[in-house]
Formats: sequence, structure tokens, C-alpha cells
Amino acid sequence: MDLPRIPPVDAELALAEVRARRAEVVEADLVPAWFWPSIGGLMLLFVASVESGRPWLVATGSVAYAAGLAGLIVAFARRSRVQVRNRLIGVRGGLAIAAFTLVLVAAGLGLSFTLAALGVPAPATIGCVPVAAGLALGGPALMSHLRAVMLSRPLGGVR
Amino acid sequence: MTVEPRFDELIHAPTRLSIVSLLTATEWAEFKYLRDQVGLSDSALSKQLTTLEEAGYVDIRKAFIGKRARTSVRLSALGRQAFAGHVAALQEIVARSGLAVLPDPVQAFSD
Repeated sequence: MDLPRIPPVDAELALAEVRARRAEVVEADLVPAWFWPSIGGLMLLFVASVESGRPWLVATGSVAYAAGLAGLIVAFARRSRVQVRNRLIGVRGGLAIAAFTLVLVAAGLGLSFTLAALGVPAPATIGCVPVAAGLALGGPALMSHLRAVMLSRPLGGVR
Repeated sequence: MTVEPRFDELIHAPTRLSIVSLLTATEWAEFKYLRDQVGLSDSALSKQLTTLEEAGYVDIRKAFIGKRARTSVRLSALGRQAFAGHVAALQEIVARSGLAVLPDPVQAFSD
């Protein structure tokens, strides 16, 4: 063990600096506010176009979806100045992301199949509405939860 | 997995401690991000990063996104190891003094 004789107060201040700098990275606006509603809107547009059954609308919707998604990713990449360390998310964060995804998929599919069984027109599009809303509203909430998870991680992990 | 406490004079210098603390929470960070966060001039940050690079603690990469040059910095495996040891040493000093009741445990991420 190699410990120099620096005052404990200095060591405590240095640790406070480490914590503060980590918080700066984690609490930065990593995913912009427009990202989640944009993803939800694109998804809704795509499902509605496919469900219409009209070839020209399916083609237009598919191209718009692909172009929109590519545009979002490029805009996101251009804007990014820092990438939070993946390992900070850990198992808890991974489970939160998986649960968020599963809930949205289950809600969307469940509602769509129920509406289809009831003979409601455009069941997939209607079923996708809560999914889009869930992305727009739940996305920022998920990010907030992930930030809390990341800040709870121990300092100084090495792997 | 626990980390052997090892005080690192190179990392402990205030400016470098800030830079490495930012980098340890990232996969990579842009040069401009580090400059803005730490509040240094381009040349001052370059000097600090060169010192860290010569010690093998950071990797500096230049890439082009469109026509824009982007310099990014990442902490190397050696840098992460040194930082973890340094944090462990700081926590050890604080714990021995009784300043902190429960020091933040230093350990490798287990999940």
C-alpha cells in the first residue's frame, strides 16, 4: 500500500471533486428532449402507413421512417460531446431499460390484438398511440432513473 | 474485486484530477467538452493531456465528422487502474482519520 502524508481534509476534498465531476457527466443533457417524442412520432407514422395497406403509402411511410430515424441518429451523434461510460448503467440500469421496453411492447401488442378481436378499424395504429406516448413521457423518466443508478455506483471502478 | 490503494501524484494535481474524474465516467469525451468543463485554454488542456498521454493514462484520437475535425479523449485501461488505486488511497486516508463514517467502497464494477 502506498499512502502519502496528505491531510485527510485534502483527501476528502479530492474525493468531493471526483464525485462532482462524475455527476457533471451523468447529469448532462445526454439525450435531448426532442429525441423521445420524435422516435414515438416516427413509429406511429410507420405503423399507420403499413396498416393502411396502400402500397404507395407503405413505401412512403417506410422511406420516411428510415430517413427520419437516420436523421435522428446523425443529429444525436453530431450533438454528442461525451459518451457516458456504459458500465455505469450496470445490471440495475439494464433491467430498467428492459422493463421499460417490455412494458411498452406488451401494452402496444395487447391493445392492438384486443382492438383487432373487437373489429375496431386500424387496431395497430391505435395500439401504437400509447407506445408513442409512453416513449415521449417515459423516456425522460427512464433517463432520470438511469442517472440516479449511475450516481449510486462506487467511485473508481477499474474494468 | 477490490483495488489496491495507490496514491498517484500525477493524477492528484488539481487540474488533472478534474480531467481524469470526468474521463472516468465516460467512454470518451470531446476535447472541447473537457476544456469547457474544466475551464482551461486549449493550450493548457493540451499540455495536461500530453502529460497524461505520456504516462499512458489517456488515448487521444482525431477524427473527422464531415469536414469538422473532432478530437476525443479516453481513459486507457492503465489510467482507469491508476485512478481506481488513487481513489482507494484517498478513501483510505479519509477513513483512517475518521472524517468519514462510511467511506465509499472502491471496487471494480461487479455487474
